[in-house]
Amino acid sequence: MAETEIALDIQNLKKYFGGIKAVDGCTFQVPKGQISGLIGPNGSGKTTTFNLLTGVLDADSGEVLYNGENIVGLKPYEVFNRGISRTFQITRIYREMTVFENMLSASSMKMPVREARERAEQLMEFVTLTKLRGEYGGNLSYGQQKLLEFARALMTDPELILLDEPAAGVNRTLLNNLLDHIHHLQEDQGKTILIVEHDMNVIMNHCEKVFVLDYGVKIAEGLPEDIQKNEDVIEAYFGHR
Amino acid sequence: MAQNEHLRNFGMLAILIIVLSVLPPNLNLYQRSVIMFTMMYVVLALSWNIISGYTGYVSFGHVMFYGIGSYATAILVVDYGWHWIPTLFVGVLVSFVISLCIGFPVLRLKGPYFAIAMLGAAEGTRVVATVWDSFTHGGEGIGLPNVENSFETYFAMLVVMLVTIVVSYWVGHSRFGIRLNAIREDEIAAESLGINSTFYKLSAFALSAIFPAAAGGIQAYKVLYIDPETEFFILVTIYMKLFAMFGGKGTVIGPILGTFILYIVQEITWVKFPTAHLIAFGVFIVLVARFMPRGLMGFAIDKGWARKGMVH
Repeated sequence: MAETEIALDIQNLKKYFGGIKAVDGCTFQVPKGQISGLIGPNGSGKTTTFNLLTGVLDADSGEVLYNGENIVGLKPYEVFNRGISRTFQITRIYREMTVFENMLSASSMKMPVREARERAEQLMEFVTLTKLRGEYGGNLSYGQQKLLEFARALMTDPELILLDEPAAGVNRTLLNNLLDHIHHLQEDQGKTILIVEHDMNVIMNHCEKVFVLDYGVKIAEGLPEDIQKNEDVIEAYFGHR
Repeated sequence: MAQNEHLRNFGMLAILIIVLSVLPPNLNLYQRSVIMFTMMYVVLALSWNIISGYTGYVSFGHVMFYGIGSYATAILVVDYGWHWIPTLFVGVLVSFVISLCIGFPVLRLKGPYFAIAMLGAAEGTRVVATVWDSFTHGGEGIGLPNVENSFETYFAMLVVMLVTIVVSYWVGHSRFGIRLNAIREDEIAAESLGINSTFYKLSAFALSAIFPAAAGGIQAYKVLYIDPETEFFILVTIYMKLFAMFGGKGTVIGPILGTFILYIVQEITWVKFPTAHLIAFGVFIVLVARFMPRGLMGFAIDKGWARKGMVH
């Protein structure tokens, strides 16, 4: 098998909150152009890892290499401007701004307004929110907010997309839609996608590679079917047999 | 937004400007003053609106920039013999520099902490103006040369108001303004989606600081006597905030409409009921806060008379 390219090289990443070791020397490589999953029991450090990758939190130590550059210590907007975009576990759309304004807010200032508007229109079409373009974000259903957040994260055409629990609170039809969009991004546009998710169906059926965290440490990685059988993973989720 | 919507808005502005330009000779001195002060409060309300309405950083100390402007004009005219017009630019410049110095640390605070820090900054400036006798004439204040200036100050205020409206209109219809809104709605999300919030907050703060300085300078030349108590009076901040909120913060028309209605209501009640007017005014504010929390523009949006959002 040909060596796959690495999109994100995470080396020995650490973040302690007082005595709590949220992320404790985490090391893994996200393959380029694939959909990968990051799983683990509640409190295993998945969201903290996301926040470290995107600059929302400052890492205590460790490196994250993206295109050869260490992005630890960059501000969130600097990480974003390098082509890494994200969504949040609990949606963070702008509630008193319209759907269209939510979209436009994430456009790069380097992109001319006319182009930014067109791109916003296309993406709203892509996630079927065009009819709601003049509605306040806060008036959308939770599932629609998830779609809006997803579309908003794509405004700058990022190379790497981090999705924090895209399936949570989204009904099946909408979820399938969302997954179609994700596959479309990966297959047709060669994007790299990293998903944090509790819904095992999503992870097992849609990810090519899975990383498992427990107590801030990576305890396993591999193909979904191997992860399912992995003793350490089973123990982390269900306790000692 | 459709091109003709901009045309309509600028048409309305042109009508307002023409009416305000042809009115003065037909008014008496008192009426001219009322309209001049109304325009002044339009400037103040729109300025407050840039940092507090669009960006969500509610300032309780904006009077400081107005006071800095009025002191710049008074000191330069009285002690240095300047013509009053160029002093306005000095006031604007000083205000701009001070806004950056204060904004950089203070804009790291959020919500009530920011509000209180700004209140403290304004009070601090008042104290400096009171104790720095050799420069500001201290608590006794500064008397300016008594000349008939009601036309000059009226038209100067009209120009400053026009500039403030045009800049506010640009903020309210641009991606710059949308980004300020995004910071107001969720600063962490905004940062994560490419917005350098420090830069945008400071820009908004500086923009909101320069127009009050010009307005304060004109006002000083108009009233002929200033002292720290009146120039850094917290009621000025409360009025600008109130007028903006009554009209609808985070919009361009809101603060203009709010000021024209409330300032004139305030003036009439003050004349008719010199003691009871603040009570009546207070009751009115409570009613507005209870039944129209998003102001006239919010009400218009709920009724379907105006569209949601600022960029369409």
